Amino acid sequence: MDNRPLKIYLFFCSNSLDTDTARRYCAGQKGEELKAISLPCSGKVDLLYLIKAFETGADGVMVITCKQGACRYLEGNLRAARRAEAVDSLLEEIGVGRGRIKVIKPQEEGDVEHIIREVDNFRAKISNLVRSNSQ
Amino acid sequence: MIVAERKTIPELIEILQGHKKVLVLGCGTCVTVCLAGGEREVSIISSALRIASRLASSSLEIEELTIERQCDNVFIEKAAEAIERNDAVLSLGCGAGVQAIAERYPEKPVYAGLNTAFLGILEERAVWTEKCVACGACVLHEYGGICPITRCAKHMLNGPCGGSREDRCEVMPDRPCAWQLIYRRLKGIGQLDRLKQIKPPKNWNASIHGGPRVIVREDHRI
Repeated sequence: MDNRPLKIYLFFCSNSLDTDTARRYCAGQKGEELKAISLPCSGKVDLLYLIKAFETGADGVMVITCKQGACRYLEGNLRAARRAEAVDSLLEEIGVGRGRIKVIKPQEEGDVEHIIREVDNFRAKISNLVRSNSQ
Repeated sequence: MIVAERKTIPELIEILQGHKKVLVLGCGTCVTVCLAGGEREVSIISSALRIASRLASSSLEIEELTIERQCDNVFIEKAAEAIERNDAVLSLGCGAGVQAIAERYPEKPVYAGLNTAFLGILEERAVWTEKCVACGACVLHEYGGICPITRCAKHMLNGPCGGSREDRCEVMPDRPCAWQLIYRRLKGIGQLDRLKQIKPPKNWNASIHGGPRVIVREDHRI
């Protein structure tokens, strides 16, 4: 079985989550490397950033956006979702399979607990996925 | 501009089988604008190929480079060293670009990473539509600047066919009826009389059907 630490990238919109919160609550757990990358808007996330994350060894990637309709640049969160979908599809083409990338949208503005819950669920899912693939 | 789209990753992997060092070569002109083969796409496709190579436990080395234009020897020159140090070239240029590189480097395998689709325009954000089939004998002046050969699904020179519904094409309902557009345009510029003229069958000799085309400008050859 592969014993290397789980590597997860977290791209987040700095308007929906501040860097301190991201570091404090979404910090990597034992046996896990979690890299948090702040963006001025989730719409800044590009296919290239996401695929490079996987190329540099990410097992899973999360993109935290604003809640629907709350993007201060109007459609940044919609663009982020489309780009994540495109990368999911590209990963399937490559042979990695779908489900390695997740867009997390808060239900309410400032609902950090929801974000943390979703981050935990995703890292657990990726951990299981990596473990089952390496067996 | 020339519009193209990338081949799938499994297709590219199959194309590159047997090579250890590959140059993914982008083109900074048409295919950059249609988001198929510019610097950004070179990086994305290279990353995808590296991940695929890692999954297959193969050791494919990929170098990335984008030049201004692949269909022009002056710019191809700038890729000379990179082409020399790799086993093969995966060109993200259009079909003309791929062939220009292959002609210049007869001993180097050069592969097409894109499917060159058509001559078109950006109609709206991330939507490209075909506008010209490069027939070699343009008739746009007769149809108010709207090409019935390219934009009418039935390629009718004497339209309309009568099958359109609510201005939409009956063959491709997501597209506007070209003849509706031609009518409106000719009406707008006061040239509706043009529709009364019966157009004879088009001579396709000037198109690809007459064989590969060559244009020579003697006044510029010396």
